[in-house]
Amino acid sequence: MNAVELRNVTKTFGKVVAVDDLSLDVPSGSVYGFIGPNGSGKTTTLRMIMNIFYPDSGSIRVFGGEAGDSCNDRIGYLPEERGLYRKMKLRDQIKFYGELKADRDVSEQVDIWLKRLELEDWAESKVEALSKGMSQKAQFIAAVVSEPDLLILDEPFSGLDPVNTDVLREAVLELQDKGTTVIFSTHDMDVAEKMCDFIFMIFKGMKVLDGTLDAIQEEYGHDTLRISADGGVSALRGLEGVERIRDFGRIQELRMKTGADPQEILARIMSKTRVKNFEVSKPSLHDIFVRIAGPEAEEVEVAENL
Amino acid sequence: MRKIFRIMKREYIAAVHTKGFIIGLVIAPIIMGGGFIALAVFKDRVDTNEKVIALIDHSGVVSEAVVEAAEVHNQDYLFDETGKQIRPAYKMEVVEVGPEGVGPQKLDLSDRVRDGRLHAFVEVGPGVLHPGDDPMAAHITYHAENAALDDIRGWLDRQVNARLRELRLKEAGVDASLMGDILSWIETEPMGLLSRDEASGGIRDATRSSEARAFGVPFFIVMIMFLITMMGAVPLLQAVMEEKNQRIAEVMLGSVKPFEFMMGKVLGGVGVSMTASVVYIAAGVYAFRHFELGNTIPYSLVAWFFTFMFLNIVMLGSILAALGSTCNDAKEAQSVTMPAMAPLMVPMFTIVPIATAPLSGFATGLSLIPFFTPIVMTLRLGTTATIPAWQPWVGLAGVVVFALLAVWAGGRIFRVGILMQGKPPHLPSMIRWIFRG
Repeated sequence: MNAVELRNVTKTFGKVVAVDDLSLDVPSGSVYGFIGPNGSGKTTTLRMIMNIFYPDSGSIRVFGGEAGDSCNDRIGYLPEERGLYRKMKLRDQIKFYGELKADRDVSEQVDIWLKRLELEDWAESKVEALSKGMSQKAQFIAAVVSEPDLLILDEPFSGLDPVNTDVLREAVLELQDKGTTVIFSTHDMDVAEKMCDFIFMIFKGMKVLDGTLDAIQEEYGHDTLRISADGGVSALRGLEGVERIRDFGRIQELRMKTGADPQEILARIMSKTRVKNFEVSKPSLHDIFVRIAGPEAEEVEVAENL
Repeated sequence: MRKIFRIMKREYIAAVHTKGFIIGLVIAPIIMGGGFIALAVFKDRVDTNEKVIALIDHSGVVSEAVVEAAEVHNQDYLFDETGKQIRPAYKMEVVEVGPEGVGPQKLDLSDRVRDGRLHAFVEVGPGVLHPGDDPMAAHITYHAENAALDDIRGWLDRQVNARLRELRLKEAGVDASLMGDILSWIETEPMGLLSRDEASGGIRDATRSSEARAFGVPFFIVMIMFLITMMGAVPLLQAVMEEKNQRIAEVMLGSVKPFEFMMGKVLGGVGVSMTASVVYIAAGVYAFRHFELGNTIPYSLVAWFFTFMFLNIVMLGSILAALGSTCNDAKEAQSVTMPAMAPLMVPMFTIVPIATAPLSGFATGLSLIPFFTPIVMTLRLGTTATIPAWQPWVGLAGVVVFALLAVWAGGRIFRVGILMQGKPPHLPSMIRWIFRG
């Protein structure tokens, strides 16, 4: 069963088409990652699922029913920009948000989550006294404290340090284990690769990727070479059979032209420099993202340009 | 409804649990009624310094009487029964017109007044005894720094005219022993209307109409309504704008409908207003009773007061919350606040004409315009005049309809405006949002 189903959903703001004829199925119990460049329509799509924005056309069903107030109480929502009452005490604030959805006393859950995310010492502090990371964790607790069946997280890890990122990631996965469906948007391709059962990419309002990571990578084939060689990127310029090079400093990622032989490319490189590491692999999600959305500046043009 | 109640509760607690609310509750009436309080506190603090007044008497018939009256005043009226001086002594200085003429002399006297050596000077025209002969020569002028508000002018007025009447009657051959009777003056007392006592069936006598009842009660009611609306409804504009900017609105809209969000906030404002009004009304009743004005309190007005106040907060609160949702910063909020305050400001500016003529066409018309009905109708009902029974009901019907319209339209604007970023408030856009979403 799908937790969320979008059918031919379109949303425009004035003359700008934010989401264009989008259809999507989010299976129950899955972790679904939304990726896409800034302004591509991720947040608009999430807001439509939350019934904050209404689509111009198409339909959105959540847990089998029309998206709306009745299902919203089963959805926990962490918006892209955190919204907390600055003058309110942390515990009161989370309790208020939780009880708006749950319609029951959530004090116990509040205490459990405050302890879990190491905020119990700040429970009686006003929100204005919290750091940005703490506020983000507080907002996360506010989203999950009502024990929702669907959790929508818009950029949940942005601005968090690695420790807190891990804490939040573990919490999300634990919720998934308990049966919660999780949709989250992210710009961190590494997180998306590691956490998501399904990845959906939206670009200029249109769906450009949708499926499991393996399926997406399979679609792009084994056209990527990861190389570590003396001389770095300068030693790899002008290679025949190579379409693009992405330079990560110590490692370079080469995209082969269709039909090119990796062994021949390796031989050409070895004739020029000493190769320390060579791997034929599927393209990373990052690479796929960049292939679809650019920006070209991050890449080193090869072939005829170099 | 559950969610509206939760939001209302949060808004209410957030508002009343602040020092600002407590301080505002005390300070606001002091500021608003500061003039009256100052008047009450300082009414007995009279300037008791001797007042030197120069008198140029061209008629030659009043100066002697005025000097005598001043002596009587200084002898009999300066002190109260405890011996405390409560009035200034008057020292009259009769000035003869010199060869240089009256003009330079008056200029010299004016300079003395400016220097503080003289309080005022009076010029009595030559023809005051018989003004009909030459009206131009029958003037009496009083020159002082603040002549219009100077009490001594009134005192002089009475003394000079009493003397002139006496002289006129004497010329007409009236016996001097009859002067007191002829010149006696009886004040007309302001009284209310008689009514029938429904319990006993008898006639209930009219009570004396006091200034406190005629103006104090309506003024108090308007002030309370104004203050309470300021506390309950006006802050909604700023609060909604801040919640929009701090992205709280988006979190809230993930849980509640825009209408529920707005109504929760508006009803929170109503709760704040109710709390403040209970405090103010209780304090007002106590104050009126303390000053033995308890019989002037129109208790029958309480139901109308609370009904109109509730509707006023709902009506204005919805509009202000909707306007707040369209603003992105304090400057934009300021630009929409002034027109939004009109329903509060217009009744404030019209207190005097409405309180003095509550049955006039202007007062009636204004009280039937829904925006102004809550304050103006309550003001009219607070006066001693008998307002036709149908008028408050028609006014109420108008306000109910208008409040419902305001809630509906406000909700429609709020729904779009609260998520709109970077676009300044624009009336045509708001109208479009109302009808097309």
